[in-house]
Amino acid sequence: MSVRLSSRPLVPSAAYRELEDPTLGGVVLFAGRVRADPTESGTVRALLYETHRGPALRVMEELETEVKRRFGAGRAVVWHRVGRVRVGEIAVIVGAACGHREPAFEATRYLIEQLKRTVPVWKEARARPVRPRPRRRLRRRARSTG
Amino acid sequence: MTEHGSPARRATAAAGHARLLLFSSARTAVGTGALDWPVPAQGTPVRELLDELSRAHPALVAILAHSRIFHDGVPVFRLDERVRAGDEVAVHPPYGGG
Repeated sequence: MSVRLSSRPLVPSAAYRELEDPTLGGVVLFAGRVRADPTESGTVRALLYETHRGPALRVMEELETEVKRRFGAGRAVVWHRVGRVRVGEIAVIVGAACGHREPAFEATRYLIEQLKRTVPVWKEARARPVRPRPRRRLRRRARSTG
Repeated sequence: MTEHGSPARRATAAAGHARLLLFSSARTAVGTGALDWPVPAQGTPVRELLDELSRAHPALVAILAHSRIFHDGVPVFRLDERVRAGDEVAVHPPYGGG
């Protein structure tokens, strides 16, 4: 079982290794990356994640225990980045290893949905301001179309 | 964040204060993520502490309506629970991880 809140990059291959077990045939990993979403103040270039570490780790540990009980997961990972995470970087990895694929998919889906709802983590977008178009170019275009 | 029994926490207790932690929109409403709040020697109910905080920072009222409160790292289910000097109270607005 593996729970992590880290300011360092999350590596999927390392998460996969946490799920290795010769008796478990179904392994599912989910990675959530920061998107370059448009906002009113420009395009998102990073998200700033903050957490209340003690309660967050406790809830993440409870989620691990829960997927073991509900879905028979032999192993699970619940990892989340904190601090500044740039567009394209992984903000969250969850995953489960079960005997077969169906419970592994269900457990992983359960982990990400519950994580978003119950783990004390908050994010704030950092956007790149929209640049106004250069005036000269606008004037030239106005002349050519006038 | 201060830990139980840490020097910072003992100092807060000695000064007759509880430590308030404010996250996300609650931090924006108050203008800081942590502050020491005076509490009487016999302690004060969580509800009263939050009322005092709301009077000092009216922008917090709407946020508290949708927040979870933690007392020493444990979710608060009864707002008459007493907060004493050295305790930690955290305001958790709706979560947004992932």
